[in-house]
Amino acid sequence: MKKTWWSWGLLVPVLVFFILMNVVPTIWMLGLSFYNYTLTSAGDPRFIGMDNYNQLASAGPLWLSLGRTFIFMVLAVAIQTVLGAVVGYLFWKSNKVPGRRLALTLLFTPMILTPLSSGLFWRLMLDPVFGVINYFGELIGLDKIDFTTDATLAFPAVLVVDSWMWIPFMALMTLAALGSVPKAELEAAQVDNLSFWQRLIHVIIPAGKFIIILGILLRTIDVFKTMDLVYLMTNGGPGDRTELIAVALYRLAFKSFNLGYSSALAVLLLFIAIALTSIYLFVLNLRSRREAENA
Amino acid sequence: MTSPIHDSPVVLPEENAPSQRNDKERRLTISGVIAWIVALIFFAPIFWIFLAALKTDNTILAYPPKFIFTPTLENFAALISKPNVSLYFFNSVFLSVGSVAIAIVVSYLAAYSFSRFKPAGTDFLMFLLLSTRFVPAAAFVIPFFQLFGILNFKDSYVGLLIFYVMFSVPFSVWILKGFIDGVSQRFDETGLVNGASRAHVIFKVVLPQVKPGLVAAFVFNIIFVWNEFLFNFQLGGRNTSTIPVALFTSLYDGGATNWPYVASLGTAYVLPLAVLIFFFQKYLLVGMTFGTVRGEV
Repeated sequence: MKKTWWSWGLLVPVLVFFILMNVVPTIWMLGLSFYNYTLTSAGDPRFIGMDNYNQLASAGPLWLSLGRTFIFMVLAVAIQTVLGAVVGYLFWKSNKVPGRRLALTLLFTPMILTPLSSGLFWRLMLDPVFGVINYFGELIGLDKIDFTTDATLAFPAVLVVDSWMWIPFMALMTLAALGSVPKAELEAAQVDNLSFWQRLIHVIIPAGKFIIILGILLRTIDVFKTMDLVYLMTNGGPGDRTELIAVALYRLAFKSFNLGYSSALAVLLLFIAIALTSIYLFVLNLRSRREAENA
Repeated sequence: MTSPIHDSPVVLPEENAPSQRNDKERRLTISGVIAWIVALIFFAPIFWIFLAALKTDNTILAYPPKFIFTPTLENFAALISKPNVSLYFFNSVFLSVGSVAIAIVVSYLAAYSFSRFKPAGTDFLMFLLLSTRFVPAAAFVIPFFQLFGILNFKDSYVGLLIFYVMFSVPFSVWILKGFIDGVSQRFDETGLVNGASRAHVIFKVVLPQVKPGLVAAFVFNIIFVWNEFLFNFQLGGRNTSTIPVALFTSLYDGGATNWPYVASLGTAYVLPLAVLIFFFQKYLLVGMTFGTVRGEV
């Protein structure tokens, strides 16, 4: 009896915040999505049932955004995982390098910045008039380019900056994955004189794959959230070339002020987020279960 | 324990932590040199902003770009003399430290309950908490925008503090539950059997043993709030703007970007983060995985 009191009593503060700052806004959002409600037009919000969702289902540009987000996700996650693994392995190999902590600090700083400032910093470098990237381009004989407004280069430019931020993250996850390989197994592999590839396939990947998968999933989730970086670098443009789904949602809400319709899109993204969270926890629990069995 | 430990973090074996590896002697290998070069390449764009902060307006806009120049501190002098800048810094520090302090108290109590009593719905609540951090921020901007309007919370410290408390709670609960799970229940039982109160057990027995978790939660939530842009931009205003919002608005300040201002403010924004990463590097992993993977790298 006393235990129940404690168990729920301790949860009260979190629940108060959770209900006020999560449950209420979520219900609000769900409610809005059934209304025709545009801030810029006169007239009261009008209940229209599933109309917003029907409109969403046939909204070509939004599905295009979603497709673009998916392409961005595949490219970004692939690039960042592969290069992150290389960088992570490099730092793992050189764990005795002088000033390792400082070197890691320099490496990890990009991922700790708010994406907005990353976008800002890169604008200075990518500037079509005085940008240092264009200077290096000219040195090797290229013409000056305005990357963020170029129809073909804007998307790769965002991809490069995103990778600059998140390759360090995948390097961090790689270091963690390598750290999760039991030392005894690594030493046994050394005694058995296994080659690099044999060690990788038989020792490192079986032990480290969970953490890498968690890293890949976190990145996947993050791409769905990517907004600030694009907003600052290209604002989704030119046209809609770099309009990822979170950017599309933001534009919809704060440019057209169609709150009902954009809430319907927000609900869709909420479901995607919940699905991704489930996958993430499934992998996490798979790992705990495996450990519990081995213990 | 035969049942799987649900929703528990992945913990790296401690024997593999760098500090545990008996590597007294430092060695410079080829891979070490390449690793340093890679680190410098990744830092170069930030270094370029640092350099710009030390240049005059004309030098920043010079083409070809100037790599050698006479550094000046006048941008920083101009930065300090701007009346709003001290307010931005105050807001960033006040909102992050204030909300995270509250969040950690609240989260510690909840994490203790989740870890020790496992009330019905623990897994589900942990799941919901994590998922709130996995939703695109833009999805929640509309309801918050309207709710803050109704509650008269816009551009108020109270409103933003409450918002950032909830912003910091999910990660804090996840990380603290992981650490409390690592403290044997016997400590609690021994304390209770010997007549200590539950409160004594919570604050005097278990709390001191999860200090690393508290530090990690504190440091990383501060970073996350320090970095938060969208909600401060939409829910804040003239009185409560933080540094990221100031950086953003400076972009369109009077048409052209005021680069000396952006560069010096950006430098002042980045430096504390880099220092935190240097000193709290061993918590980076748990911080960047929202408390789900633990260990040193």
